[in-house]
Amino acid sequence: MLFDENTILVQRTLRSGQSVSYDGNVVIMGDVNPGAEVIAAGDVIVIGSLRGVVHAGAGGDINAVVVAFKLVPTQLRIVDHITRAPDGAANTNSLKPEIASLKNGVVTIEVFQPR
Amino acid sequence: MGEVIVVTSGKGGVGKTTTTANIGAGLATLGHKVVLLDADIGLRNLDVVLGLENRIVYDIVDVTQGNCRLRQAIIKDKRLEGLHLLPAAQTKDKTAVSPEQMQELCVELKKEFDYIIIDCPAGIEQGFKNAIAGAQKAIVVTTPEVSAVRDADRIIGLLEAAELRDSKLIINRLRVRMVKAGDMMSIDDIIEILAIDLLGVVPDDDQVVISTNKGEPVVLDEKSISGQAYRNISKRITGEEVPFIDLQSEGGFFKTLRRMIGLK
Repeated sequence: MLFDENTILVQRTLRSGQSVSYDGNVVIMGDVNPGAEVIAAGDVIVIGSLRGVVHAGAGGDINAVVVAFKLVPTQLRIVDHITRAPDGAANTNSLKPEIASLKNGVVTIEVFQPR
Repeated sequence: MGEVIVVTSGKGGVGKTTTTANIGAGLATLGHKVVLLDADIGLRNLDVVLGLENRIVYDIVDVTQGNCRLRQAIIKDKRLEGLHLLPAAQTKDKTAVSPEQMQELCVELKKEFDYIIIDCPAGIEQGFKNAIAGAQKAIVVTTPEVSAVRDADRIIGLLEAAELRDSKLIINRLRVRMVKAGDMMSIDDIIEILAIDLLGVVPDDDQVVISTNKGEPVVLDEKSISGQAYRNISKRITGEEVPFIDLQSEGGFFKTLRRMIGLK
């Protein structure tokens, strides 16, 4: 899925008001807190909790994915598909890493299965 | 050489000024020489909370503009030997002082005092930049509300960008009963997001309001639980290890209170 080798590594937590924007893949070793945003042309991988806004495939790559140890974003965008958790939904506490991808034009979230 | 600590929060109304006053009084009670610096120019309150408003002659802007010497502007507290206040100006605004002037001021104060505690204004603009300019350490105050925690997170990010790392957290106005009922963010919820060291938790206490209005820091009230929390925080600032008051134990407030006064 890594569409090329162009990847940056962010070795810290992104706090509210901070943002990372990159023309490739983004890997974050830390959390993405509410109020922070990550925008990538490729994939976004968060080795931590993703609670902020994330946009993968911002340049139009429909194969882009978002992976996080704890995937609870404020808003998740892949290409031009914008999703958010349903209003009033209980915080699903999945203990496993999850992956969000576009399947048949719908953003789908599943438990991450290494292949 | 003294230590310069800024008390900040981002959001207004979470208790920065009250915290500054109580930490200052707490440290002075422990025998340290402390000066509190009100950086909230134009909206000064620290003098009111300490009950020192009527003693102000010169203020911080008078010092930086050279209208008086630093010594002339510093007010001695009426109760505690080691406690001092450098008041903010009320008729000026935040642009009356520059970050460089604040740095110089802190360098001067460090020569004479053990602790310089800066009361930071709300917001992230000029006033905030001034307040953190001379600081070596930061204390972030938040209440258990999503909006306050969000702003605290933003502030911690800005502090890190200004090379102020290892900020310590004070959670103010925790209501144990509401946390237990699941209606308020718990200590763990807050720590999970902010991920910084906890310096102390101050329970919601009517006594704080009463003593603030009287101009007497609650830390001097031996009987109040919030006063105890501030005394513990002051000790932790000096490097002493103090166990946290068990606010969330079964049996609640009275058991905690009895344990505090040694009745077990």
